Amino acid sequence: MKDRPYMLLAELTYGCPLHCPYCSNPVQYPDGRELSTREWGRVFAEASKLGVLHVGFSGGEPLLRPDLPELVAAAHAAGLYTNLITSAVGLRKNRALQMREAGLDSVQISFQSDQEPLANQIAGASAHATKIEAAKMVRELGFPLTVNVVLHRLNIDQLERIISLAEGLEAERLELANAQYYGWAFQNRAALLPTRKQIAWATGIAAEQKKRLLGKMDILFVTPDYYTERPKPCMNGWGRQFMTVNPVGDVLPCPAASAISGVRFDNVRKRPLDWIWDQSESFNRFRGTEWMPAPCRDCSFREVDFGGCRCQAFLITGDASATDPACSLSPHREKLTTFVESIQAVHPAYSSAEQRPLRLSFRQNPTDRKCHTA
Amino acid sequence: MQMDEQSRPELARGVRLRNDPLTGEPVLLFPEGVLPVDETMYAILRRCNGDLTLTSIIRELAEEYDIDPQTVRQDVCECLTQLREQMLIALFK
Repeated sequence: MKDRPYMLLAELTYGCPLHCPYCSNPVQYPDGRELSTREWGRVFAEASKLGVLHVGFSGGEPLLRPDLPELVAAAHAAGLYTNLITSAVGLRKNRALQMREAGLDSVQISFQSDQEPLANQIAGASAHATKIEAAKMVRELGFPLTVNVVLHRLNIDQLERIISLAEGLEAERLELANAQYYGWAFQNRAALLPTRKQIAWATGIAAEQKKRLLGKMDILFVTPDYYTERPKPCMNGWGRQFMTVNPVGDVLPCPAASAISGVRFDNVRKRPLDWIWDQSESFNRFRGTEWMPAPCRDCSFREVDFGGCRCQAFLITGDASATDPACSLSPHREKLTTFVESIQAVHPAYSSAEQRPLRLSFRQNPTDRKCHTA
Repeated sequence: MQMDEQSRPELARGVRLRNDPLTGEPVLLFPEGVLPVDETMYAILRRCNGDLTLTSIIRELAEEYDIDPQTVRQDVCECLTQLREQMLIALFK
């Protein structure tokens, strides 16, 4: 069967009022101008023709785009399911009403912690109280709500309270997204990666609470792949089901892919989306199994995990076509395990944000020259 | 809430049952994803309208497909439990 994209992540801007140190945005922003309202409209129409059924509006903070309701309307008119992925900073009621009118199907709000001081410290902004109010308003307007919390060493011990927060907000879904170590998170991984003990405890809590909340709230908890034996089937395989269009129009198989040097990504200003999906060098680079090195090539899991994550392979080994070191069969496995073992020695006190200052580099916004607004 | 004979299942908030324009096959669209819907699931989902009770859904399916109601019950419960876990189906009483 031919690969076709089901989901599109539309990164509308890299600007954001938050500065989370695990942000999935690239550390090096691309040059260029943000796509205009009209250009995004064309992207949604082309995406729909190509098979996309679902679009996530993301960023940065998508609410920073004044034309967001128009973009929602354009995606809705193209027949796409629309999900707003937001910090909720700037999500006022009149705006939410405009988007509901425009056909917005659902809202996902990020929280950094259940406790305001830690949440604001991680976000690098005073945002927690605003988020709570916005989440309540979203519920009052009848949107389905997903709460997303990125888990890391500084907040994972509060998992029970984080679950209570989402339950109290009457979210249908709670995504407990263990930080993925790319971009800003990779730079901060020594401060962010939880210990093995923390992960084991949190995994148990998440499973137990998921059972308790059946029919009320779904909990999605994914073990960080630094602690697994087999790699994750990243994006369900390169160029198989997902595509990302970044703020300046580059089309990527995953939001982190721009970090891989040596792969050039085509742009919607120069090429139609179907050409980029079907024919571009970047989308075909790691598609299927032909590109795989040993041990992936002969592995019975090659159609299960697709060799893991290309970005992670690149970040850890310097070679994007290597087996993901999250796999115990990777010849580079030691690079990962050495790091993971160094984390276990961390004194528990170090994991408490109240007792030690955060040694983190916070995400910066693009400067004027880089991906400036349209 | 436990699922029982009098439960009236319906698609949960923000969940849409659509046809995939590319294949004509039904799919469920929901906040965080897309789920392909097979023939059995489609027959069940079409009846999850918040009006029909579990008992009525099972009776209708058993009649339409001429299958023993016990077998239908098992299929329906299995399917709805899986969908409830993912918050794709909500129950009303």
